[in-house]
Amino acid sequence: MPKCTINGKEVEVKEGTSIIEAMQTSGDRIAHYCWHPGLSVAGVCRLCMVEIEGNPRVQIACNTMVTEGMKINNTSEKVRDAVKWGLDFHLINHPLDCPICDQAGECGLQDQYMEYGKYDPEMAEPKVKKHKVLDLGPTVVLDSERCILCSRCVRFTEEVSKTNELGIFNRGDHSEIGCSEGVQLDNKYSLNTVDICPVGALTSKDFRFRQRVWYLKDADTVCNGCSTGCNVKVYYNKEGFFRVKPVYNEKVNGHWMCDEGRDVYKFVNREKRLLKALVRSSGSAWTEMTAGAAAKSAGEKLRSQAGDSLALVLTAQYTVEEFEAIISTFVNEFKSKKIFFWVNNKETFDSFDGLLLRGDKNPNTKGLLKVLERYSITAPWSDLSAGLANGSIKTVVVAAPENTSVFPDYTEKVKELSKASQVIWIQSTQHEALMGLNGNIHLIPAKSFVEKDGTFVNFSGLEQKFKKVTTVVSEALTLTEVALLLAGKNLMMPNQTELLAPAAQRPDQVALEARKKNEFVFKRGSL
Amino acid sequence: MAESKVLTEFYHLPEYQSLVGYKANGGYETLPKALKMQPQAIIDEVKASGLRGRGGAGFPTGMKWGFLPKNNEPRYLLCNADEGEPGTFKDRMMMERAPHQLIEGMIISGFAVGSNKGYIYVRGEYVFPIRCLEKAIKEAYDAGFLGKNILGSGFDFELDIYRGAGAYICGEETGMISSLEGLKGQPKLKPPFPAVQGYLRKPTIVNNVETLAAVTYIIRDGAQVYRKFGTEKSAGTKLFSVSGNVVKPGNYEVPLAYPLIDLIMKECGGMKPGRKLKAVIPGGSSAPVLNAEEVGKANLDYESLAGLGSMLGSGAVIVIDDSQCMVDMLGVLTHFYHHESCGQCTPCREGTGWLNKIVHSILEGRGRLQDIDLLIKVADNMKGKTICALSDAAALPVLSFVTKFRDEFEFYVREGRSKVKGTTYAEMHH
Repeated sequence: MPKCTINGKEVEVKEGTSIIEAMQTSGDRIAHYCWHPGLSVAGVCRLCMVEIEGNPRVQIACNTMVTEGMKINNTSEKVRDAVKWGLDFHLINHPLDCPICDQAGECGLQDQYMEYGKYDPEMAEPKVKKHKVLDLGPTVVLDSERCILCSRCVRFTEEVSKTNELGIFNRGDHSEIGCSEGVQLDNKYSLNTVDICPVGALTSKDFRFRQRVWYLKDADTVCNGCSTGCNVKVYYNKEGFFRVKPVYNEKVNGHWMCDEGRDVYKFVNREKRLLKALVRSSGSAWTEMTAGAAAKSAGEKLRSQAGDSLALVLTAQYTVEEFEAIISTFVNEFKSKKIFFWVNNKETFDSFDGLLLRGDKNPNTKGLLKVLERYSITAPWSDLSAGLANGSIKTVVVAAPENTSVFPDYTEKVKELSKASQVIWIQSTQHEALMGLNGNIHLIPAKSFVEKDGTFVNFSGLEQKFKKVTTVVSEALTLTEVALLLAGKNLMMPNQTELLAPAAQRPDQVALEARKKNEFVFKRGSL
Repeated sequence: MAESKVLTEFYHLPEYQSLVGYKANGGYETLPKALKMQPQAIIDEVKASGLRGRGGAGFPTGMKWGFLPKNNEPRYLLCNADEGEPGTFKDRMMMERAPHQLIEGMIISGFAVGSNKGYIYVRGEYVFPIRCLEKAIKEAYDAGFLGKNILGSGFDFELDIYRGAGAYICGEETGMISSLEGLKGQPKLKPPFPAVQGYLRKPTIVNNVETLAAVTYIIRDGAQVYRKFGTEKSAGTKLFSVSGNVVKPGNYEVPLAYPLIDLIMKECGGMKPGRKLKAVIPGGSSAPVLNAEEVGKANLDYESLAGLGSMLGSGAVIVIDDSQCMVDMLGVLTHFYHHESCGQCTPCREGTGWLNKIVHSILEGRGRLQDIDLLIKVADNMKGKTICALSDAAALPVLSFVTKFRDEFEFYVREGRSKVKGTTYAEMHH
């Protein structure tokens, strides 16, 4: 375990640690572009300069290993000067189009220039012209002029996705990133290249021009796209969710996530959601109701016929806490053990692409199995089919999937389950198959995974707790709340609004609204 | 200086190109002797001779060989015949006139470093030298000097030619290795050094044509005989490619530490009539230029030139006479380095282009006085910041040209025309 001194502080690191890694752990700031902890060392941006005692020349920290007694310094005038000029070299041919660049606000060049920059550009010559708006594939667009040729994306396709679509073509200052002839940047992890791009060269077709990043808030959560359970950051504001990016977790996803997972925000937004409860009895039209009232009225019906004619169908798309609540309600209150696990795409359930993507497209299969085991519930699906056919099962409560697109048998199952004389269908998203149902139906809007606290247990049994990010549909209920209401219990304290003045008449309300509109001002802080 | 001809002794004989002619003049006589020696003894002999890399960096050859790991991994011996340094044309002559000299040197060196596979990386434009080498390699295979069990010694050595595609950067050893591996010719990050992980990530030795050829003579005569030429730190003889306005430009083999002015005035017959010596680039276009006064003091060895702030480099002596415009010449150089930068490291990729644009702004009459200082600042900040030495190679000429001939630059900026030629850029080139 070599000990070294970084900017006067003594630091002990593992054998084979590079200086830049040591500085990440010691908390010292160091400028860099091409180095990325998840990729090999390229050593081309030449920004992570450090001075090592006994060496007349500044060295790059990413390719220099820490040795015993090394004295490292990156705050000296010499180093700062090297970084300053290094940045200037990056910028001389970089377009000054920050106002229309998607990366603005989270751009490595902007941030590091503010910190180390030379501020008095001396470049008086015309800039090099390169290609703009290059379509690299179905997900990514390239602006070559903004590219600083750090080669992170190229190394990503070589080392992580192992698809080798990208390369650097040409030579010198007319080098450009591009796809090999006849190939597109089209793999299941392509959008990671956008994340690791330190500038606005690679932009996501899905996200570009939709929001300025300083109008977005972010929060950590767990992706509900598959059983890997990648740790992610979701970006949102009051207009909804806009994108998902990976968060480093050594045990789960490393630095990356798949492109599929980046779409999980789409079925969270209002446009796709069930906003109100819808109730219909056979022959009559849909009636809109508040979710709570619908759940309460459904509960009355359930309680009147507790026993084995009640069935519960669960998908592995809810949290462990919710499973616990609804299963215990069924077992203890309704005295029914007819609880069934709706498994989607059985054939590909165990498949794995070797990196992150798993065939089990549910975030919490292990969690559901755990709770089912606790209540020793083993009812096979065939029991349900038989019960529905012979009429012994009269009422079904369905905790339907959030992400219906990964349930290829969705429409078929909706049909099968609607054979019951009473259906209580809990789901966060709208689906046309549901609207066509006839009979006694309660459609209850559920909260999506970003609107509740909870735990997912991933494929390896790792329990991942996450916090509520925000509320999108205030009407929606969690499965726990539905369980309580079905059992006839109350959710909260009695309404006490009459004690306060109505919100619209409160004098502080105006100020609050104004503040909300300009929330980025409060978030950004001084530069 | 006939007595100092070691490598080029028989270059005047046309038949020296062929196996018969080479053997008739003592060729392949050292090889059997070397194959009977211990490999380590050859390395020690080369170390003792003080032989330094003749390609440009001047790194001690024996020491380089000593960096090889002591294991049984396959290893490679690469001959760098890319010869891209502007002004250099010695390797070309060596491959044309005496291809067997290189082949013998490579077999001995291969035996010393324990390599069974060698490649000669020749620049693609060298069509004729490649033909000479191909013919010679075939002759050597037929005569049993190459292939399996050479001369019954049990040592195998295969030799192949690889044609480069004309990139200057492929003359840098790791760039050359990348190119040989079939990758884009870009230098690799060091460490690991090629001696530890080179071609195909195996231990690799890269030496220049002249270095490898010299090994034969060191083994033939012994290190002490080789050491009688040159100085303590710069031993042996070296080929110098003299170009420019001299009476007899060409390749000259002289002992190291030979006075530069003698090379120009005696060996090359002096300046062309009516011309005066203004400056000399002593070691290929990357070496800082020497002005006339410094030329008088310079000896052609590593220490003397380093003392004058320049370097011996590949031994390309570019003589500049008083009719040449230094601004214009620098424009040629910056254009070259801009064109040849591989584009990996930012300071070089962007810096070479920037330098070129500034110099051409001056040349085209758009220059500002502050551009002259800017040239110095940019070049200064490109030095020593990159993976390979191309950035330095681009910066050093700029620094030396601008500091030593500042008056010409200032005149050009003020008047928009050359101080020496009195004409504008357009007039100079059309």
